[in-house]
Amino acid sequence: MSARPEAGPQPGTSAPPVLEVRGLVKTYPGVTALDGVDLQVRRNEVLGLAGENGAGKSTLLKALVGLVRPDAGEIHVRGERVRLRSVEDAADHGIGMVFQEQSLVPNLTAAENIVLGSEGPGVRRGFYRWATMRRLAQEQLDKIGSTIDPLARTDSLTFAERQMVEIAKVLRIEQRTHDTPVIILDEPTSVLEPGEIETLFEQVRRLREFASVIFVSHRLDEVLDVCDRVYVLRGGRAAGEIRPADAEPGQLHRMMIGSTAPEDHYHGGAAAPPATSRQPLLTVRGLTGTAFRDVDLDVGAGEIVAVVGVHGSGREELCKALFGAVATSAGEVALDGRKLSLTSPRAACAAGVGYVPAERKTEGMVGPMSVADNMTLAKQRVRCAGPVVVPKRQADVVDSWIRRLSIRTPGRRTAIGRLSGGNQQKVVLARWLVGGDVRLLLLDHPTRGLDVGARSEVYRLMRELAGNGVATLLLADSLEEAIGMADRVVVMSDGRVVAEVPCPADGKPSPLDLVKEMV
Amino acid sequence: MSTPASTAKRSGSAAVAAGPTAAERLTSLMPVLALAVLVVALAAADPDFLRRSSLMAVVDAAAPLAVLAAGATLVVLCGGIDLSIAALASLSSVLLALWLPGLDALAWPAVVAVAAVAGALQGAAHVFLRIPSFIVTLGGMSVFSSIALVVSGAATVPVVDDTSIRWGFSRVLGTVPSAAVVAVVVVAVLALIVKVTPLDSSIKATGYSEAAARLAGIPVDLVKIGAFCVSGACAGLAAVLLVARTFSGGPTLADSLLLPAVAAIVIGGTAITGGHGGVWRTVVGALVVTLLRVGLSIVGVSAAYESILYGAIIVVAVALTLDRSKVLVVK
Repeated sequence: MSARPEAGPQPGTSAPPVLEVRGLVKTYPGVTALDGVDLQVRRNEVLGLAGENGAGKSTLLKALVGLVRPDAGEIHVRGERVRLRSVEDAADHGIGMVFQEQSLVPNLTAAENIVLGSEGPGVRRGFYRWATMRRLAQEQLDKIGSTIDPLARTDSLTFAERQMVEIAKVLRIEQRTHDTPVIILDEPTSVLEPGEIETLFEQVRRLREFASVIFVSHRLDEVLDVCDRVYVLRGGRAAGEIRPADAEPGQLHRMMIGSTAPEDHYHGGAAAPPATSRQPLLTVRGLTGTAFRDVDLDVGAGEIVAVVGVHGSGREELCKALFGAVATSAGEVALDGRKLSLTSPRAACAAGVGYVPAERKTEGMVGPMSVADNMTLAKQRVRCAGPVVVPKRQADVVDSWIRRLSIRTPGRRTAIGRLSGGNQQKVVLARWLVGGDVRLLLLDHPTRGLDVGARSEVYRLMRELAGNGVATLLLADSLEEAIGMADRVVVMSDGRVVAEVPCPADGKPSPLDLVKEMV
Repeated sequence: MSTPASTAKRSGSAAVAAGPTAAERLTSLMPVLALAVLVVALAAADPDFLRRSSLMAVVDAAAPLAVLAAGATLVVLCGGIDLSIAALASLSSVLLALWLPGLDALAWPAVVAVAAVAGALQGAAHVFLRIPSFIVTLGGMSVFSSIALVVSGAATVPVVDDTSIRWGFSRVLGTVPSAAVVAVVVVAVLALIVKVTPLDSSIKATGYSEAAARLAGIPVDLVKIGAFCVSGACAGLAAVLLVARTFSGGPTLADSLLLPAVAAIVIGGTAITGGHGGVWRTVVGALVVTLLRVGLSIVGVSAAYESILYGAIIVVAVALTLDRSKVLVVK
């Protein structure tokens, strides 16, 4: 547990960096998350952190805000060695983090959330002083140039607005140090829509005026777009440093995965889909639910249709509704000419519909259960003779799919929670394939949180399934992904389908074409 | 300090450990170890304890508790809790005593069936009204207690002719208490049905992650109602065993078994948060609880202290077995 008094000081730099990390090591049972990371954050710069899942990004961030105690190594803040024991401790040293999963209290106002925990003059003798509190909050919001009403209830704000509130809140640590604070943004763009991302970038550039920013993202283009310098983490080490001015995504990509990027990320040309004779397999007519109205939609056999739209467009709800997981009030859905009952996920399963939820860890898989049990969860009959489970049958089916999808796991009995994200997702996908009867796949952000290599494998699998005649409805993680994968893109806005854009391999629309339709 | 296994991470999933760690194995063996320690300790305190008659007495005493707790274990595995089992067993004992003269040999199946329906109704209320099982069965406990008082006239109902339920309190092969055989058969049947059918993964998936189970097409609602139904039926059967040995039914006959039953479930190592555990574990838990009770009297502690023990055991056992990664905020 003691620190390693090695790694001597780095002479030569005139002004000490705001934050410096030397030889940080953190080991978990069986895994070395950080393997001697060195890193420097200078005053008023935006430092990018890129890396695959499991490269050690989140462990590093947690160490910087006192949520993880490193086994070895040193953290220096403004030239002074510190030990960070808690988020509070980190805040005292001017380090604050905007968490990926938001940490605001939904039923309080934005103002209350901003001053929560650091009320200062906002509280006197145990009583809230509303006017002062509101003023304090307004100051914070002004600092980032936000027009959000401090008296709005937090749960009435959009996701992007809540993120701004979080940034305003984190900036409160400024008063504790009276020096340039370090603000960490952990995957801030992962759930934002394109328009919102641009706003966030402006925000980050504005933050640079009075703070240092660590910007973490798995999207290479973003990191290059907004950062002054980029550190690439790989296998718990800093694999290199890049200046965006003289770098391009390909180089970064190679640094991240340690090999050359596949030229065709989406395998678009590889298996050009048979565009002919496509009578629709899935037909949706006038489907109406709480978040969408009068949706008409066709998906042909072997076709991949991407649905795009901003947050609140109703596409997630539509996807869930087609699986019977949320209620609909009107409309007809037919699969292969037969009426599809939308009463329960069970009915949808039985009809040959498969669904990969966006929240893999909480909705997609059952973490403590084995790979085998997770894979056969939806199609129990593949491992049964009559009502009885035949372990041999299950072993055969599961092992063959582990091989076919090259799922990296010590064995079928390993708990799925122990696998990496990409392999977990492959098991979740295989769940619908083992039965051999899947006709329609609903993929809700199937590559969310996956690293580049795993994404690529998921794309290949999607292509292969489409080639076998499976109809796919895709809610893509990004516009690029939607365009790259889909044969047709359907644009939703305010719960309605507003446009349909053909997306053939030889005539892909640009993201801009789609954005125009979305807003 | 060097950096061990520095390349392990790069190979990604290939580096993950295959099976449970040594610590996990030890935790899962804990109930059996506790049982062994108790037997040794009691034998040391009182050498007579190891005689066959006293061992059989312990097994006999543990049987109704094991049956009662085994059913409720299924509910806990699904992520819920059934607090009504003891009250339902009391009510069942009254009904059995009242029905025995008229229905004779059909009385006990009728009682078990009624208890099963009562359990299923609670399950349905929990599922369809979306009320936490804790609240539903707390209400159920109160309702069943009251019905028992009303139909019994708030008095013990004696059983004059117990021929048709004598199987619940006799000896098999002259030595083994029949109640213990009943308990083992019930648990074995439950365990077998769960084990050899897909129910195993349905129940576990429901308990570990209901949302994921639902989205995998598992009939979560049915599974849960079924668990409550079995829990009710087991309460009814436990009542039959109790009536057979007391020759009477009473409106509060089994009430004191609630805490021991919950203790048996958690001592056995079934996670109160759902998913992990099993009915055999509860049998071990029931034996541990019974031995502790016997042990207290051997050591000479008044029975008035028993509830302190149960209360403390439940808290400690849950503290040891709780999967805190699943419980984000403890309420």
